[in-house]
Amino acid sequence: MKTVDCRFKISSIRQAFADTLFELAVKNPNIYVVDIGLRPSLYLDKFAARFKSRFIECGIAESNAAAVAAGLAASGKTVFLTSFACFSPALNWAVIKQSICYNHQNVKIVGSHAGLISGDLGATHQMLEDIALMRSLPTMEVFAPLDAIEMKKMLPVLASSPHPAYLRLVRPPTTEVYPPKLSFTIGKSQLIQSGRDITVLGYGPILTQLFSDDFKKYSLDIINCSSIKPLDSDTILESIKKTGRCLVIEDHQKNGGLGDAIANLILSSGIKSKFIHLAVDDSFGQSAANYFDLYHHYGLSPLAIIESLKKLLSKS
Amino acid sequence: MFLPKNSAHPLYPLSRSLRLDILEMINHAGFGHIGGSLSSIDILISLYNSDLFNFNKDHFILSAGHLCPALYAVLAQKNIIPRSELLTYGLFASRLQGHLNLETPGVEYASGALGQGLSFASGLALGDKTHHTICLTTDGEHNEGQIWEAVAFASKYHQGNLINIVDSNGYQLGGSTAEMMPLDELASKYLHFDWTVTTVNGHNFNELQKALKIAKSSSIYPTCIIAKTTFAKGVSFMENKFEFHDVKKLPEEIYLNAKKELEAK
Repeated sequence: MKTVDCRFKISSIRQAFADTLFELAVKNPNIYVVDIGLRPSLYLDKFAARFKSRFIECGIAESNAAAVAAGLAASGKTVFLTSFACFSPALNWAVIKQSICYNHQNVKIVGSHAGLISGDLGATHQMLEDIALMRSLPTMEVFAPLDAIEMKKMLPVLASSPHPAYLRLVRPPTTEVYPPKLSFTIGKSQLIQSGRDITVLGYGPILTQLFSDDFKKYSLDIINCSSIKPLDSDTILESIKKTGRCLVIEDHQKNGGLGDAIANLILSSGIKSKFIHLAVDDSFGQSAANYFDLYHHYGLSPLAIIESLKKLLSKS
Repeated sequence: MFLPKNSAHPLYPLSRSLRLDILEMINHAGFGHIGGSLSSIDILISLYNSDLFNFNKDHFILSAGHLCPALYAVLAQKNIIPRSELLTYGLFASRLQGHLNLETPGVEYASGALGQGLSFASGLALGDKTHHTICLTTDGEHNEGQIWEAVAFASKYHQGNLINIVDSNGYQLGGSTAEMMPLDELASKYLHFDWTVTTVNGHNFNELQKALKIAKSSSIYPTCIIAKTTFAKGVSFMENKFEFHDVKKLPEEIYLNAKKELEAK
């Protein structure tokens, strides 16, 4: 079960991250990478070779790496802490809380290979709880780019912000849909497509499924919530006030994800809206050669989205 | 008199008066980690009253945040925080929290959860190679795997400007370290990781100064100073009794007896 629209360009968010970081590091001698044994997987070989003294390799030791990153930041550096999301921020959460957040250190935690989309590695590696873990930490900002285009726009903004941040990356190349005219601002969502009937919210490549022809007959406000925390409540509520129907879709556990944040926002605002949250429902992932099979199995495929849209539009 | 050999040293009066400060803080707040504060205080006095380091430039990281009463006492002695503030320790809205907080002047790292400070110190030492970073950990804290990640890291990066002082008092919350998780031959463990190791009596100012001087002169090897201390040093009936790792409201008799011992000349 899949719909692939080959008219779109396919590119790697991870590669865009590595390329943009390299460009930033050429201009800014303060940028450091603290790596946790996964340099090739984050395409950081070029960075490591060019900036030897600014590439700190900690080996497979997430807790030490997070606090080393914090200590480096305390000496005035802008530090990117790189690993897979299932290891960092998962194994070192308490270190991130104390050494980075409580100590106000400017560390950007980069968690790659997040979500079911990261595929064949199975449940241990498909990090589905990272947004929940990071959203809950005071001072921590949380971001997930829609595609490689947004990644390139996002990274310079993150690098010049003084706050701790979490950046969620995915493994496979994905569809480019981000309108080149838009720009990324912390705390702002972008209305990527505007419509009348339903507000669709999400972050990361899962949202790009909405840009296939299957969805042309629906009038949708598609809002890219790449700034998951801080969340752009104004843009989101304005749209929901208009449509009265809200669909949140995310490649993450239902518990603690963006859907929880949006539901809270709607209930607190007093705006009346129908609400459906498509996410992994309290279960573990599994391997698959193609992530479309996983999206189908876990109810996140275009088919599941269309069913949800129909449900939201029905009178009952 | 609890430190006969040391009593001639000019820092000895501080050793007594700051112990009294620790007792007063903990008694006033109604809680605190008294055993480790009393075992580590001479290390802190030695560090802050030495010409070897200048903590406006060099860095001090207290990894074991529960020893904060000892650090607060030293910060007040150095006029970094007002002495009058000591009795706000652990109280609502105080800068002197029950574990460290960045709001406190002179505190460079807010710790509480064990095992993280040495890694933070390593990162700081890497980012500021022109100064020294000194970290204080405890022997019980070496139960944490992260300590050993940091020990390997500092060795890999030849961090000669990093010093880890271990307050080795032999006790932790639930019992003796030997019983909870033995750390036999801590010195050899560090030596195997290519650290320089010195062992001192952690209540002897001459030995502490000598070890700090050796550590400061290191070029590429990080230094571990194993400070052998007595748990709850100075209050005979608390010494080497793990039940005094942390205390709640002290019964008046215990408080008065402890005070009497610490005041005795």
